[in-house]
Amino acid sequence: MEPILNRAELMAADNVLLLLRPSNPPLSPAQKASADQRPPEQEVFLAIHGDGRIIALNGHVDLGTGIGTALAQIVAEELYVQPKDVQMILGDTDKAPNQGATIASATIQITAVPLRKAAATARQFLLEQAAARWQCQPDQLITRDGRVGNPTTQQSLSYGELVQGQAIHLQVDEHAALKPVDEYQIVGKSAARKDIPAKATGQFEYVHDVRIPGMLHGRVIRPPYAGRDGGEFIGNSLLGIDRDSIAHIPGIITVEVIGDFIGIVAEREEQADRAARELKVDWKPSPDLPDINDLENAIRNNPTDKTRTLVDEGNIEQALQETHKRLTRTYVWPYHMHGSIGPSCAVADIRNDQVLVWSGTQNPHILRADLAFLLNIDENRIEIIRHQAAGCYGRNCADDVCGDAVLLSRAVGHPVRVQLTREQEHLWEPKGAGQLMEVDGGIAADGRPYAYDFTTSYPSNGAPMLALLLTGVVEAIPAALEMGDRTSIPPYQFDHMRIRVEDMAPMVRAAWMRGVSAMPNTFAHESYIDELAAEAGEDPVAYRLKYLQDERAKELLQNTATRANWQPRTGSEAPGSNRTGNIVKGRGVAYARYIHSKFPGFGAAWAAWIADVEVDQDSGEVNVTRVTVGHDAGLMINPDGVKHQVHGNIVQSTSRVLKEEVTFNEIAVADKEWGSYPILTFPELPEVDVLLAEKPEEPPMGAGESASVPSAAAIANAIYDATGVRMRQPPFTPERVRNALEEAGVRPKLQQPTSNSRKPGWKSWLGGLSAATLGTLAMVSPWRAAIPEITQPLTSPYSAATIARGAEVFAAGDCAVCHTAEGGIRNAGGRPLETPFGTVYSTNLTPDPQTGIGKWSFTAFDRAMRQGISRDGKHLYPVFPYTAYQNISDGDMQALYAYIMSQPAVSQNNPKTELGFPFGMRPLMAGWNTLFQSNTRWQTNPTQTAQWNRGAYLVNGLGHCGACHSPRNLMGAEKTGIAFLAGGEVDGWEAPALNGSSRIPLNWTEPDLYDYLRTGYSEQHGPAAGPMAAVVEEMQQLPDADIQAIAHYLANLDEAAASPSTRSTAPQTTAAPVAATTTAALAAVPATANSSTTMTNPLNDASARMFESACAGCHETRPDWFGVNPNLAVNSNVHSDKADNLIRTILFGIQNPATSELGYMPGFANSMNNGQIANLLRYMRSKFASDKPAWQQLEQTIAHIRANPGSH
Amino acid sequence: MNPTATQTREITLTVNRQVITIQADPNSPLLFALRNDCQLNGPKYGCGLGECGACSILIDGKTARSCSIPLKAAIGRQITTLEGLSQNGQLHPVQQAFVDAQGAQCGYCLNGMIITTTAWLDHLTERPSEADIRNALKANLCRCGTHLEILDAVRLAVANKFPEADSAATRQPQTNQPQQDQTSTNPLEENSPWNRF
Ligand code: FES
Ligand code: FES
Repeated sequence: MEPILNRAELMAADNVLLLLRPSNPPLSPAQKASADQRPPEQEVFLAIHGDGRIIALNGHVDLGTGIGTALAQIVAEELYVQPKDVQMILGDTDKAPNQGATIASATIQITAVPLRKAAATARQFLLEQAAARWQCQPDQLITRDGRVGNPTTQQSLSYGELVQGQAIHLQVDEHAALKPVDEYQIVGKSAARKDIPAKATGQFEYVHDVRIPGMLHGRVIRPPYAGRDGGEFIGNSLLGIDRDSIAHIPGIITVEVIGDFIGIVAEREEQADRAARELKVDWKPSPDLPDINDLENAIRNNPTDKTRTLVDEGNIEQALQETHKRLTRTYVWPYHMHGSIGPSCAVADIRNDQVLVWSGTQNPHILRADLAFLLNIDENRIEIIRHQAAGCYGRNCADDVCGDAVLLSRAVGHPVRVQLTREQEHLWEPKGAGQLMEVDGGIAADGRPYAYDFTTSYPSNGAPMLALLLTGVVEAIPAALEMGDRTSIPPYQFDHMRIRVEDMAPMVRAAWMRGVSAMPNTFAHESYIDELAAEAGEDPVAYRLKYLQDERAKELLQNTATRANWQPRTGSEAPGSNRTGNIVKGRGVAYARYIHSKFPGFGAAWAAWIADVEVDQDSGEVNVTRVTVGHDAGLMINPDGVKHQVHGNIVQSTSRVLKEEVTFNEIAVADKEWGSYPILTFPELPEVDVLLAEKPEEPPMGAGESASVPSAAAIANAIYDATGVRMRQPPFTPERVRNALEEAGVRPKLQQPTSNSRKPGWKSWLGGLSAATLGTLAMVSPWRAAIPEITQPLTSPYSAATIARGAEVFAAGDCAVCHTAEGGIRNAGGRPLETPFGTVYSTNLTPDPQTGIGKWSFTAFDRAMRQGISRDGKHLYPVFPYTAYQNISDGDMQALYAYIMSQPAVSQNNPKTELGFPFGMRPLMAGWNTLFQSNTRWQTNPTQTAQWNRGAYLVNGLGHCGACHSPRNLMGAEKTGIAFLAGGEVDGWEAPALNGSSRIPLNWTEPDLYDYLRTGYSEQHGPAAGPMAAVVEEMQQLPDADIQAIAHYLANLDEAAASPSTRSTAPQTTAAPVAATTTAALAAVPATANSSTTMTNPLNDASARMFESACAGCHETRPDWFGVNPNLAVNSNVHSDKADNLIRTILFGIQNPATSELGYMPGFANSMNNGQIANLLRYMRSKFASDKPAWQQLEQTIAHIRANPGSH
Repeated sequence: MNPTATQTREITLTVNRQVITIQADPNSPLLFALRNDCQLNGPKYGCGLGECGACSILIDGKTARSCSIPLKAAIGRQITTLEGLSQNGQLHPVQQAFVDAQGAQCGYCLNGMIITTTAWLDHLTERPSEADIRNALKANLCRCGTHLEILDAVRLAVANKFPEADSAATRQPQTNQPQQDQTSTNPLEENSPWNRF
């Protein structure tokens, strides 16, 4: 492929047609004066080469929205070529024109305009060239597929041929004749994104993938005042570093320190990464932040730099006194993260006075000015090569990391790639700013909107490049910008209106983020108008339509309401009337047009939302079930592209509104990973319906942000419709909604929601299992053969007496209790059985051949009853206590079979049991079933056998298990007798009890022990970690028989070794009979869980979300994932008296499992603080071990273990 | 906590059916070796904590998060990355489904989505429900809100594997794109000018 020439090369090249315009960059709000002083120079917008290549250049970059595809469509349309023939160059400073930062969704609306004119100018020129050659008039000629042709003479020439041998520099004709819209062939038709095949195959080169020969790897170490950029301490807090602390790490090239900037360069990435984590650094203490977790007051107390009054119509002061009904409201918008999935990355190469920077920046030209300032060189020596990065939706750390990279490349004289960590991106990305909106106003007596006095306070968002601040090149003086005014004027007719903006300096580092200030402002406008409609007793849609001033807005809102089948509210139905149990449903509407850029700004696309929600009044959970969005962007260049943007806005803004909020500690941002800043996941997605207005005759409008803007108000209004409660501060988390409902008296004050009691609980149905109950659901297992199907004879071969006897057995066994659903057909199954592990549905017990057990022979039935194996060889869930039934006499079993087969067949498919996390796990069930069978085995040989003795010998002798697993007395000696193997401690790890005094929910059975010792993992108890992982690794040498002997001995330890008192405290250690032991062990879980008077439901707050985002993904049944997915419900460590092992595992992960098959776990020590881990532990305890007392002093324990990591 | 040795040593990996020998610390993250030594663009660094899925690869056909797995775990196993899914210039059916359903905005998460879907589908023996589909990608994060197109892509891939298409689980993607009906695969464009813009 021919190389793409840069601007200077193009200007000097032959065989090319260039379309030029003098540079005219728009001012960025954050731009420094130095960047503006360059004389205007000619910039290239379009190049047509003699070889026919068409290169189009645009100063805006693709932020992951596929804008390159749309721009190519525009150029192709004007030039009469196909989009694939147009190569787009976006953003590179040495090639593309300077068109300012890629913000405000303005690429199509504004920056594409000169490109379109350039293409039209070029086409006109080519027509004239051909006309001159053929000596005819240009208007006799046509252009098609990259050729100019004369329909009369059949002559034609390609564009390349017309350009060959010339170097033509043309100014873009601002008045060039543009192709009429109604002749469009390409624009307005959906085009597939051209970058996706490369992205789907790993061919695409993101900035993260740039590799330069000789490239080294850099990491930075950031100061503790994370996410702040104002104050004297910034750039002035470093006391010193201890270079020796990383002397043990090979490959370190240099450690660069300038002010508070610290960077490490190493040969390999992992070396730099590790060194950055292990370098010892001393910092001065940082001054406290204002309490941003109390955001309303923090913003109120943040000094206003300037109050701008944007609108003052009528007499607002007087009108406020005259309102028929006056409402004074405060709305608070949280800080959000841009949350790019890829932390920022850059490569810099400073050699021979030339600075090359490969960057994912949003604003290459502004970045170049910043870097020139940082390096104190002329910006002409800097070239920014723009690559795509992870979607940013505003400004993330993409520029910052370029500053880091140039400093490190300068230090070592080699190209250096700097990759920020997840923690750094979370902490330091300039946040989407918090905002405070206050509304005073009300309605007139006839209900019309009368007065609106709106004040919005916006702590601004200049966010100078970090390297400039940390090195002290720029002083960290927070500056107030004018950015709080987007969509600050409501779209409704008020008799009296005043709109004021309080411009204020930032409190923490912030930058524009999708829907900047318009989304918060609209949240206030649209929540307020909804209240006014309710006060006026009018339907919220009708009310808006009545007072909207913009005809296009009305049309859109009306169409959206129709599409969503909006049912007008007359006011007679009170909020909360749509109720099923605890769940209330509601609908909300909101409308907005995103007005961007400096006030009064430009309007982008129009958007209207109708949101459907379900609110669980007990838990406070809000489920957005459906979103209908109407969107009017005028002419859509690429309608699919617009639709995908709208989809993206809907999903992302739903995430922001329901879940997102940056939290802060005393000095800094606190959230360092996705557990503490969770975003929406697939199971939480609403259904989405999008209505795109078809208006090809209208100019194209930016579609990148508009659909986000009404989201928060629509959802809040839906919550109001559902509950009667107005939410005025996102995110609408369960705890916030619970509080609001409690305050409003809609829901009684409760500690925690109570569990749903409509279905039979585990305990209640467990009682029904006292006799024969046929098992519930089959599982796949390779272990057992299917028993062939039979066809039941038409008449029963059994005598009436046998069937009658069977009926008695059936009744005694309460079979129908479980196998008949509420209100369902007898024995046809389908009853949901609540277990602690999830819902299990009973099966169809009638002799229907397809859906019941009609094809089961007696042999198959008998095996299922006694062994828990379904006819087809699958294992049954042990909810069905088949072990209890093995003692049924043969005669009774025959009779039972006879009776069941004589009953009417019912064809009924029952819901499939789909146990959720973690009990849907098939291997778990297989292991569980093994438990039952193996107990049967040792029942037949319960006394001290050769195996038992071998096990005892290994445990007490060779294995010296007691060394760790027995407590020590004050002299340091292992305790014996009752304390033997009663639990000890090693290397800071708790070595759990091996006798009956353990706290675990399921007893350690012999197979569990075998699995654990052989593989390092037991489904029932978790993986071996810490020192035990190493022990298991060692024991890989032992023959199977020895492992089995150890397991056998330990499983029978209590009978032989423990005292009677130990036994009595642990139901699962009852000595005999074996079948009863097994049942008791199983029963131990629910029985203890339910009998505990202190039981509450799991916490449902940030800790729950943290668990879901940071832990649940892996700790869930994933047969298609590498490694085991330990089930935390039965994990011994979660049930232990001490949290130590769990803390160690969370902090340091599992990087040395007993065998690599088990998989690995990352440590979270660098990513979660002690408070966050403590909350996570509290949640896990409440969720998985609610019968156990809460752990105490968690923060202190975590701090201690963090400081004393031990050697495992 | 393990004070793992920092010694680099020779390590032989099998990546995308090719054997490669590198010098590295066996305890360092596998992701770094794939990015730097193998020069692969598929697996992406997202969180380093197993939370987002961007770094996903296949180890012996199962999904693994290469950021949280040490290099030593890959020894003696088959590593497949996004690059290795397509063979002979033909897209893997899951890749094709993502292209057809336009399942990317920035595409940074795309690697994880495709890899996770591939292993999940390979292990499925029955047609999954809609809830199954969503749950399969529950621990894969996307910031661009591309979820709807990604779900379309997964439904397409599911429908290809379990062709009896009348079940509710395979309702047609919401996007009405003509490409949906195509079953042909796109050849890879080497050095496509669209690789970067
Ligand atoms: S980077 Fe590996 S899961 Fe996020
Ligand atoms: S497409 Fe950007 S993160 Fe998913």
